[in-house]
Amino acid sequence: MAAKKASPPSPPAETPETGSLWQRNRREITFLVLFIALLAGGFTLISLNWVNDHVIEPFTAGIAQVSGVVLDLIGQDVTMEGTMIRNKRFAVNIKNGCNGVEAMLIFLAAVLAFPASWKSRVAGLGLGILAIQLVNLVRVVALFLTGVYFPRVFDASHTVIWQTIVILAGVLLWILWANRFAAPRQTAT
Amino acid sequence: MASPAGPRWSLLLVRNLLLWLVPVGLLWTAVTPAYNRFLLGSGQNLLRLVESPNVSALVRKDRHFAYVQRLDFAPARSLVHSFRVTDVHFHLVLLGGLFMAVPGIPWRRRLENLGLAVLITIFFDLLLVFFQAKFVYATQLGDWSVKNYGPFARNAYGLGKHLLDLPFKLSLPFVLWTGFYLRDLFGALFPPPTGGATTSTKTSPRPSA
Repeated sequence: MAAKKASPPSPPAETPETGSLWQRNRREITFLVLFIALLAGGFTLISLNWVNDHVIEPFTAGIAQVSGVVLDLIGQDVTMEGTMIRNKRFAVNIKNGCNGVEAMLIFLAAVLAFPASWKSRVAGLGLGILAIQLVNLVRVVALFLTGVYFPRVFDASHTVIWQTIVILAGVLLWILWANRFAAPRQTAT
Repeated sequence: MASPAGPRWSLLLVRNLLLWLVPVGLLWTAVTPAYNRFLLGSGQNLLRLVESPNVSALVRKDRHFAYVQRLDFAPARSLVHSFRVTDVHFHLVLLGGLFMAVPGIPWRRRLENLGLAVLITIFFDLLLVFFQAKFVYATQLGDWSVKNYGPFARNAYGLGKHLLDLPFKLSLPFVLWTGFYLRDLFGALFPPPTGGATTSTKTSPRPSA
């Protein structure tokens, strides 16, 4: 019996399913690296004193003004002073963490890192940031009313409930945006 | 377990997330007193790892609050700071909700991923408690802070506490979720271009339990 000469096995073809970790997950790795870099960059940027004093504080004061107008409309008779809203029974000072900026940055980083057209990104950012600020406006108004009528639950409501809701809003908006506007439609064949 | 492909996956994720938040929130409320005690005990041990003699104590005030105490200060002013321990870890609710909500994932894989994410979050929470105390020591005790901490340490602890306490704490659940489940999300949003009614294999990289 003649021995059959064994030929050396040929290396498998580098397809997307069998290639390197980078080749198999290029889109995911790119998203993660971009997302974390944008998040870290954004958070570091708003930590700078100059940015805080010239951008974040005026923005937060604007949120206080709008919230004050809404509270006035529902009969709370409030006065505003910078980032402070007060009436005869209660006062809140809107600080970092209560202005929706963190949720906006998480949303912004996720939208910019996602593989989508610039048109989708710009539309998503505009509508998403507006929606996050609307949720935040509801938070400030609801928290003020909580402080007036249910002061015992203010602490838990302030951090645990409303911060979770605002961040959740950012996450849900991103998932819905990616699902509805950014990802290509699946074509039936 | 077959994963629903396409946009339906994302909508199921949103629905599941909203549904899971309630039981996860209730579980978190139930374990909060025990977890607060764990964080204070472990945080105190962590602080004492970097000081000699051991002068830091994290003292429980009530169900939610705690004091940072310096045992080398006069008793009248030894309680140098009060903070709400529960605020350190409320992001566990969002983390639990996000990890439990992913559709079409075998339970075993889901719980493994959740376990790993919770473990990472516990280390993060411990680090945050550590920074809460060091931030007070380095920046909030007037002349004593200036005498005992240099400009670099004061800035490092200040920036570290600021970043950990707000932005990183709030974004951690979503960052961890993308780390564990991004492939599933992308697999559902960008199905392979083979056409037909094939289900994305990326959505279930491991066999069902």
